[in-house]
Amino acid sequence: MAHSKKAIPWIIAGAVGVIGIFLWKPTVLVYGVQRAGLYASIALPMSLTSGILHIVNLAHGELLMVSAYITYTLALLLGLDPLLALIPTMLVMAIVGFILYELTIRKALKGPELNQLILTFGIGIALSQIITLIYTNQTRKLHLDYVSASMTIGETSFGIWDFTFVALSILMTIGIRMFLSRTKLGKAAVAVGQNPKGASIVGIDVQKTYAMVFTISVVLVGIAGSFFLTRQSLFPSVGSPFTMKSFSLIAMAGVGSISGVLYCSLALGIAEAIINGIPHMSGWSDIVFFLIIIITIAVRAKKTRKI
Amino acid sequence: MLKIDNLVCGYGRMQVLENVSLEIGAESVGLFGPNGAGKSTLISATMGMIKPWKGSIEFNGESLLGKETYQMARLGIALVPQERELFPGMSVEDNLMLGAAYIPHAQAKSEQQIEKVFTLFPILKERRKQYAGTMSGGQQRMVAIARALMSDPKLLILDEPSLGLQPSIVAEVFDVLKELKKTVSILVTEQNVRESLKAIDRGCVLENGKIVLEDSADGLKTNPYVLKSYLGL
Repeated sequence: MAHSKKAIPWIIAGAVGVIGIFLWKPTVLVYGVQRAGLYASIALPMSLTSGILHIVNLAHGELLMVSAYITYTLALLLGLDPLLALIPTMLVMAIVGFILYELTIRKALKGPELNQLILTFGIGIALSQIITLIYTNQTRKLHLDYVSASMTIGETSFGIWDFTFVALSILMTIGIRMFLSRTKLGKAAVAVGQNPKGASIVGIDVQKTYAMVFTISVVLVGIAGSFFLTRQSLFPSVGSPFTMKSFSLIAMAGVGSISGVLYCSLALGIAEAIINGIPHMSGWSDIVFFLIIIITIAVRAKKTRKI
Repeated sequence: MLKIDNLVCGYGRMQVLENVSLEIGAESVGLFGPNGAGKSTLISATMGMIKPWKGSIEFNGESLLGKETYQMARLGIALVPQERELFPGMSVEDNLMLGAAYIPHAQAKSEQQIEKVFTLFPILKERRKQYAGTMSGGQQRMVAIARALMSDPKLLILDEPSLGLQPSIVAEVFDVLKELKKTVSILVTEQNVRESLKAIDRGCVLENGKIVLEDSADGLKTNPYVLKSYLGL
């Protein structure tokens, strides 16, 4: 395949880079991979909605935040560990997702794209305001012992809890791929994503498929939210940067590409960790993050124009 | 089988169909007429893609009004749309299997069905691993017809199957339809009256939203109006 031949120089360049970073500062590699796991596990559910429903859900980060608050509340009220509270959180998020779809998204799907953007943007604002009303702007955090687990190899020591995000993102990728290729609903979802009219002609209930896929994606971001809570402090606007980052990752990976999100997260996570690893440069990490995305999209746009 | 009665239908405030009645039994019916006559509108209404204003549509005694397109497909009405509406990023084989996968009465026999379809269109068997989106227009049309047949339909509706195809493929498509009409009811809209006459039993001419002429295939061949307006003689 011509495609894999082209990839060889990139793989070599990548390997050289990884060895270089490893010799320079091994922790950069560790934190880069961990960060990539976090980004990927948040972006993957969004990739599912944008690949199949073809809408950009600008409330994605807020849904992450809402699910983290739900987990937080369940953990406080029932004294559950957030990872146990994950299961009821998934249920609540499934209901939230289904209601959101039926009341709002469903009606906007036929409308122009701008309406969909404004709608989900509005949902995002509404969600963060509702959370502000209930929980105020005060920062909240759960203190968990296992989160600070660390590991020492040679002279470098680093936190290992964040590797759960890496595991989560890999599990999500496998899960989504199995869902799309093995299950009846998943196969219908792929067909609907490629051609909704064609799908209805072959007897697929397009509306039901959209509703299920949107709900699944909200449940997945709910899972990411529960894990998010274990590590981060919560405040109502904590999710919004992740909307932008997830959207950019999807744009970089190509809409609907599940494994692409994983690779792009890895590249960006490591790039961010490198910037953070250089003294006095950490303020540049977001600039570099978005710069890489802008360059990738610009190069790709130029390539496609040539063909 | 399909009974359309006094159908009035349109888009927005523009009326397209005026009291169209059409009945299809175990036969092959052609629907002719110029661009904008309302052929595709009639099909869209039958498939539940647009809502009729007045009138009724029944399939085997069951009203189709208010039903969604996917329900029509499950009842046994298969559509070959003008724009083909394939799944471009899937192989021919996957496209075909999807034709049967969500139709309750066709699921179980999809393996036999695909063999039948491959005998009708041998080229599709050769290219079954090719992405549908990379095929030529004529081959895509064949995939669309084959996908419709996978659902083992009672009624096959084709919207302008010859549109944009080279003459040799048009002839091939109508040869297949001629073969198919032995086992399935067919409704086909066409502008290529000459070719389609060999695959139909009966034809209607739709102009400005009204059926202006209805006759057997042989009757149409000798009808002076059809000869002049549609066969260019």
